[in-house]
This record gives sequence, C-alpha cells and structure tokens, in this order.
Amino acid sequence: MIRDRRIILVGMVVSIIFVVAGCAWLSFSSEKLDEIAEHFGAQESPIWTPPIPDYEIPGLEGNIVVNIALGIFFTLVVLGVVLMVGKGLRAGSKKEA
Amino acid sequence: MHIPDGFLTYSVCAITYVGAFIFWIFAFRRAKQVLSDRQVPLMATLTAMFFAAQMMNYPIIGGTTAHLLGGPILAITLGPYAGLISMTIILLIQALLFGDGGITTLGANVWNMGVIGVFIPYLVYLAAVKATRNSRGMFAGAFFGAFIGDLLAAVFAGLELGFSVIFPYSVAIAVTAMALPHSLIGVGEGIVTVAIIRFLLSVRPDLLQLPKVAPNWLGESPSVLPKVGGS
Repeated sequence: MIRDRRIILVGMVVSIIFVVAGCAWLSFSSEKLDEIAEHFGAQESPIWTPPIPDYEIPGLEGNIVVNIALGIFFTLVVLGVVLMVGKGLRAGSKKEA
Repeated sequence: MHIPDGFLTYSVCAITYVGAFIFWIFAFRRAKQVLSDRQVPLMATLTAMFFAAQMMNYPIIGGTTAHLLGGPILAITLGPYAGLISMTIILLIQALLFGDGGITTLGANVWNMGVIGVFIPYLVYLAAVKATRNSRGMFAGAFFGAFIGDLLAAVFAGLELGFSVIFPYSVAIAVTAMALPHSLIGVGEGIVTVAIIRFLLSVRPDLLQLPKVAPNWLGESPSVLPKVGGS
C-alpha cells in the first residue's frame, strides 16, 4: 500500500510539472494536422459543444493560474476515474472467478 | 494527432469505429483476467500522467508542435488491453470536456493512439525481450517500440485523412505530412518510455513482469526482469 502511494505521489508530482509546463510554456499548439487543414481551408464541424473548449474556461482564456488549476483538477479526475474503472475490472474478474 | 469532427468522411469514421469497437470488446474481457490489484494504482497514475503530458505541445519542425502519446509505457507496464482502456478514457474525456478530438472521429483517434499506439509498442518490446532476454534488449525494445508506435499511429492518421475526401490531396502526401513530424516526437516518446521503465525497475520491478500481462495469442512470454545493466 505504501509503495502504491509512492508511485501515485511521484506520478502526481510529475503530472503537476507537465501541467505547469504545458500551461506556462508549452501551450502553443500548431499541429501538422491543423496546418494542413488551414492550408486547404478545411474547417472543424463539431457535433458537440464541450464545456471547456481548448482546456480554457470561457471568459477566462489566457489566465495561466486558472488553466494550471484546471489542468491539475482534471488530472486528479482522470486518476479517480481510472482507479474506479480498474477496481471495477478487478471486481468483475473476482465475481467471474 | 487528435482528429476533430469534420475532417474524416463518415465511411472512414464508421470503419475506424468498428475496428476500435472490436478491440474494446477484447480489451474489457481480457483486462479483467490479466490486470492485477497491484497494477490498478499504476494504471490510474500513468493514465493521469499522460493526460497531463498531452497538454504539453513540443515545438518540432516548421513551426508545428506535437505531444507525447503515452501508449507505449501504458502497454509495457499494464499490457495492451488495460493500456487501450486507459487511452480510451483519456481520449473520451478530452473529446467530451475539452473538444480535443471529435466525437464522430473518436473511433479513429482510439484506433490510432489506443490500438496502434499501444499494441505495436507492446509487440516490439515483447519481441526484443524475447530475443535478447537482457536489460539492453528491454530498453531497446521500449525505445524502438515507442518510436515505431508513434510513427505508425501518425501513418494511420494520414491514411484516414488521405481516404477522406475533405482534403484534396493524395494518401501518400497525407501520410508523409503526418509521419515526418511525428517521427521526431517518437524519439521523445522512446526516451520518456525508457526513463519510466528505469524508474519502475528501481522502485517497483514487480510491476514489469510481462507474463502477468501478456495476451494468450502471443504465446508463452519469457520471464523478463533482467538485472539493470546486464547484457
């Protein structure tokens, strides 16, 4: 259990570094796919309006502190979701056995 | 590499959804059997870590950027089935909450990053470990698996775009345009994958026991946990 906590702790520290670096210095995104699409005048046609488009809360775009907090919050959400899915898979396996 | 809604024709979307769906069925059935209790915290941690890592865009060539995928390390540590489930969760959250990747193109994105980007690195890693049975082979397999996985994921994205009529250019051009920049990020992915494996070998070598995660159709896997630095 302690070793599991160490793995999670190290993973979360690294994740926070990724989020801070991603929001503060490496947030500019111009993927080749976007470049090609722009060249040919192709446009996205979303069928769903995401609540937090492009990882920024509408009205608070460009606020690095908010973006970092958002990134860390959703990293923890992903951690929680996958823990639940993983435990669900294990529970299903034990039930089948 | 996240393809948004509107970039692929519906036939390409449908084919990739079918492909992804078949792998999802196998993944959920097999992950139940091969995932151990001790791997669940690692699965959650690595998935969260690569969700965060995908927020970082590295400048590559010609003013364009690319991000790490995370599929290789998920595959090597958790096995390809749990790795696919992890990548699917990342891609689903990105599409639904942030509009990063489309809904109609989710099947294509899962196919590229979750199937190709996970299974190919796993197979390369497994082949290298089987062939060499030492740590050099393990690290080489992890590096080249990650590189080839990222490259092929980009190739498939190029194929899907090339076969979609929205972009008026040939499949060859589409594949080349996607593959070249992503070969560079593949090198970065390889380095990160090897670094995480080295870290896990030092703190939790038990998490790198391939026989626990290898699917049956690959045959009996070797017991791999060579001493670090051994040859």
